[in-house]
Amino acid sequence: MTRTGVWHVFVVLVLLVLLYPVIWLVSTSFKPAQEVLSGLALLPKAPTGDNYAQVLAGVGGFSVWHYLGNSLLVSVGAVAGNVISCSLAAYAFARLHFRGRGPMFGFMMGTIMLPQHVVLIPQYVIFQKLGLVDTFWPLVLPKFLATDAFFVFLMVQFIRGLPRELDEAATLDGCGPVGTFRHVVLPLLRPALVTTAIFTFIWTWNDFFSQVIYLNDPSRFTLPLALQIFVDQTTQSAFGPMFAMSVLALVPIGLFFLAFQRLLVEGAATSGLKG
Amino acid sequence: MLERLSRGRVMALAVAAVVAATTVTACGGDAGGPTTLRFVWWGNEDRANATKAAVAEFEKRHPEIKVETEYGAYDAYFQKLSTQVAGGAGPDLMQLDRATVGEYQHRHVLADLTGTSLHLDKIDTNLLAGGRVDGGQYAVPAGRTTQMLVFDPARFAAAGVAVPTKAGESWNWSQFTDAITKVGASGVAGSTDFGWAIDWFEVWLHQHGKSLYDGGKLGFDANDLQAFWTVTGSLRDRKGVTAATATTKMDGSTQNSALVGKQSASEINYDSSLTGYLSSYGGQLAAAPLPSDGKDTGMAAMPPVSYAVSQRSSHKDAAVRLLDFLVNDPAAGKILGATRGVPPNQDIRDQVCGSATGADKAVCDYETAQRDKVGPAFGAWPTGSAAIKRDFQRTYDDVIFGRIGPADGAKRVVQNAQNSLS
Amino acid sequence: MRRTQGAAYLFLSPWIIGATLLTVGPMAASLYLSLTDYDLFDPPKWVGLDNYLVMFTRDDRFWAAVSTTARYVLLSVPLKLVLALAVALLLNRPRRGGGLYRSAFYAPSLLGASVSLALVWRAMFASGGTVDRLLAAVGIDTGGWVDQPQYALFALVALAAWQFGAPMVIFLAGLKQIPRELYEAAAIDGASPVRRLVSVTLPMLSPVILFNLVLETIHAFQAFTGAFVVSGGRGGPSDSTLLYTLYLYQRGFTDFRMGYASAMAWVLLVVVAGVTVLLFRGARGWVFYAGEER
Repeated sequence: MTRTGVWHVFVVLVLLVLLYPVIWLVSTSFKPAQEVLSGLALLPKAPTGDNYAQVLAGVGGFSVWHYLGNSLLVSVGAVAGNVISCSLAAYAFARLHFRGRGPMFGFMMGTIMLPQHVVLIPQYVIFQKLGLVDTFWPLVLPKFLATDAFFVFLMVQFIRGLPRELDEAATLDGCGPVGTFRHVVLPLLRPALVTTAIFTFIWTWNDFFSQVIYLNDPSRFTLPLALQIFVDQTTQSAFGPMFAMSVLALVPIGLFFLAFQRLLVEGAATSGLKG
Repeated sequence: MLERLSRGRVMALAVAAVVAATTVTACGGDAGGPTTLRFVWWGNEDRANATKAAVAEFEKRHPEIKVETEYGAYDAYFQKLSTQVAGGAGPDLMQLDRATVGEYQHRHVLADLTGTSLHLDKIDTNLLAGGRVDGGQYAVPAGRTTQMLVFDPARFAAAGVAVPTKAGESWNWSQFTDAITKVGASGVAGSTDFGWAIDWFEVWLHQHGKSLYDGGKLGFDANDLQAFWTVTGSLRDRKGVTAATATTKMDGSTQNSALVGKQSASEINYDSSLTGYLSSYGGQLAAAPLPSDGKDTGMAAMPPVSYAVSQRSSHKDAAVRLLDFLVNDPAAGKILGATRGVPPNQDIRDQVCGSATGADKAVCDYETAQRDKVGPAFGAWPTGSAAIKRDFQRTYDDVIFGRIGPADGAKRVVQNAQNSLS
Repeated sequence: MRRTQGAAYLFLSPWIIGATLLTVGPMAASLYLSLTDYDLFDPPKWVGLDNYLVMFTRDDRFWAAVSTTARYVLLSVPLKLVLALAVALLLNRPRRGGGLYRSAFYAPSLLGASVSLALVWRAMFASGGTVDRLLAAVGIDTGGWVDQPQYALFALVALAAWQFGAPMVIFLAGLKQIPRELYEAAAIDGASPVRRLVSVTLPMLSPVILFNLVLETIHAFQAFTGAFVVSGGRGGPSDSTLLYTLYLYQRGFTDFRMGYASAMAWVLLVVVAGVTVLLFRGARGWVFYAGEER
C-alpha cells in the first residue's frame, strides 16, 4: 500500500475511535432494552424504533417538538441579536474615531475572558426583579446588547482587513458613517456574519447553565432541559429511550454542522475560536 | 441595492417576530382564561401515574382549573425547586419533606393554610404537627407511613434465613446482622448500606433513648454517630451491606435504588415507597419491621411527604382546592392508593385499606401488622436540617470510600450541623 | 472626528447599554453582594469579609473544589493540546479529503458540550460500561470510573480532551502559515523529521500554542455541564467531581447563599486573571515571534 493509502487508513481508524461515543449513542438508541445492557456489540442485532416512539410520545407533559420549538426560538433570537448588535459595535470600534475608543476596546476585550459567574447572580437578580425569570428574555436579550464580545472581536478583525479605499469612495459619494456601514461594510461583512450566526446558534443551543437557571416551567424548557427531566424520571440503566432523546436533542446541531461544516471550520481557524 | 434592502427588512421582520413570539410565550396563559396551576412532586413512575390520574379527576370536576404537573427523583427535584423558588416563580403546589418544610417556611415561601377552605379535622393531629410552625399550618401530610425493610423473599429463603413479617414477630440487631451477612455470603449484599441517610440514624437514636433534634439543637453527639457508622462499616466489610459504589447513588428514590438495581437483597425505606419498589423491581418483594433491641423500636407513624402551597402563588385558592381534593376526597384517595403511604384522612384510610388490592394492599397490610411497634411521629425538624441532611450523606460518602474514618466523619457532621443550626 | 463621534456612539449604543447594565453594573453588584449574606428572599445582610474568611479557613468543600478544579485543568489542558497538535500534524498534508477529515475531527468539539454527550459519557464510564469492559478485557479491573472517587475525575478529563477539535483546527491554520522554505532549508542541512519538528515547527507555532493554551485554560476553569450531568448535580462520588463552578452553583442556587457564591465568583475571576498573566509572562521564555530579534 502506498504511503498515502496507509495515511488514509490510519486517519480513518483514529477518527473511528474518536467518534465511537457518537456512533455508540446512535446505535444504542435503536437497541431494544435487553440488548442495551448485555453485549458490547456496537450495532443492534434487532434494531427497533421503540425508544424513539416512547420519547416522541412526550416528556414532562409536552412533545419533543414543543421543546424543539423552544430551543429554536431561543437560538434564532440569539442569532438575530448577535448579528445585529455585534456588527454595529464592531463597525464603530474598527472604523470610527471617538473619544474613549482605546479604553472601551480594551474593556471589551477583557470581557471575553470574564467568567460568566461573576455577573451571573446580579444579572439573575435584575431579571428576577423585572419579573423576567421563567421567560426567554434573559437568554435572548443580552445578545441584542452585544454582550458576546467574542463576536465583536471577530468582526473587528474582519473589518480591519477590508480595504479602506471602499470606505473613502463611499465618503466621497456623500455617505456618512451610517451609509458607509449599510452600503459598503455590511455586504462585505457577510462571511463574518455567517460565522457569528452559526456559532451563536450552536453555543446558545448548548448553553445548559443559563437554561437551567432561567427556565422553570416545563412549557418553556429547551430540548437539553427536557432531556434532563427525562433522565431524572427514568432509572439509570434504561439507556435506550434516554439515548433516543439525546440523539433528537443533537439532531439540529448535527444538521447545522453538516450544512455549514466548511464555514464552521474556517471560521474557527481564522478567528481562533474555542469550540 | 435591492438585495441588501430586502435582507435588512427580512432581518427586521425576524427580530420583530422573535420579540413578539417571546412576549407571547412569556405571558403564559393568565389572561382571564382557565386558571393554570403548577403542581410538582418527587417519586417514581407509579406514584407519578397515580398522581396524574388523581389530577385528571380533579380537572374533570373543576373544568376552570388546569393543572400542569412535573416530577423527578429526589435530588434533582430539590435542586430544581430551589432554583425555581429563588427565581420567584416556583410551583403553586409542591411536595416537601421533613427536612425542607422548616427551611422553606423560614424563607417565607409557604402560605399559611389556617383559615382557608382546607379541611383538616379528619387528619391525626400528630401527623399535622410536622407542618405546624409558629402557630400556622404550612404543610399538610400527604399520607402516613412508617419505616420498613423491603426485601427479596426468594434471596432470603435461598440463604436459609427467616424474616419476621407477621404481627407480633420481630428481630433484634444481632439476628438482623447475622441474617444479612448470611444472605450477602451467597450472592449480592444482604442489605443496602443504611448509613447514608440521616432518617435511619434517627431511628437508631430513638432506639437508644435519644433524638435527632432537641428544641433547636442537636439531640446527639459525635460518639452516637460514630457508633452507628461503625456498625454499618463492619457490615460492609462482611458484605452484609452494599459496597461504596452502590451506596453512593442512593437518594431514597427507586430510580437510584440499589435494591432495584439488583445490587442488594433488601433495603430500609419508608413503606410509602413500597408501591414504587413493587412496580420497578423485577421479582417479588415483601416488607419486614426494622430490628430493635429494646421496647422502643424507633419506628414512628409520620407523614412521608407533605404538600404545601406557595406564598407567591397567584392562585392560592385553586391550589388549596387541589390540596383539599388530594387529601380529603374519597375518589382521590382511591386513585392515589398507598403511593404516598396510607391516606392521612382517617375515613379515607379505612375506605382505601378496606378495599385495597395489589401494591396498595401490601402497604396497608404492613401498617396493620406492625401497628404495635409504631410510636407517634418524631418532632419536626428545624431550619437548617436540609443542609444537615445533605452534609450527612456527603460525609458518609467520604467514609465509605475510605477518605475519612467514622470517628472523624462523625465529628465533622456534628460540627457542621451545629453551624447550620446556629 | 466630531462628525463620526456622534455616529460612533449611535452604533455603540447597544454595546454600551449591555456593558453597563449587564457587565459593569453586575460586576459592581456582585462585588458588593460578596460582602453580604443574601438568600434572594430577604434583603442582603452586610457581613464584611466574612464570606471570604469562611471560604478560605473553614470551608473544606471549597478547598476540595479548588483542588479538584486544579487537577482537572492540569490534566485536561495539556492532554487536549497535545492531542490537538498531534492530529494537526497528522492532517497537515495537502491530501484529498483533508477538509472532510478536518471537519470530522472538529465535530466532537461541537457535540461535547451538550447534555446528550455528557449522558453518553456517564454511561460509557459506568461500571459495566464500555470503558470498564474494554479495560477488563485487557486485565485491568476498575469497577467503573464514574462511581469511584479515585477515577471519576478522569472521566471528565477524558470528556474535555475528546473535544480537542477546536484547538486542532487553530493549530492547522497556524501550521499552514509556516514558510516551506524553513523546512527545505532544514532538510538541506540534514535535519531529521523529529529535529525539524522541534527546531522549526514548534518555535514557529509557539504563538499559536500560547493562544490555545490561554484559551483552553480559561475555558477549563469554567467547566460545568459535564460535571453537572455526570454527577447528577452532586459533584460526587465523595466530591471527586465537584468542579469549582458546580460548587458555586450549589452554594448559590441550592443553598440560597448568593453572597457566598458571589464571593466565590470573584475569587475565580482573580485566579483566572492571575493564571492568564502568569502564562503570558512565562511565554516570554518560549514563545518566538517570527521577525523579532531573538
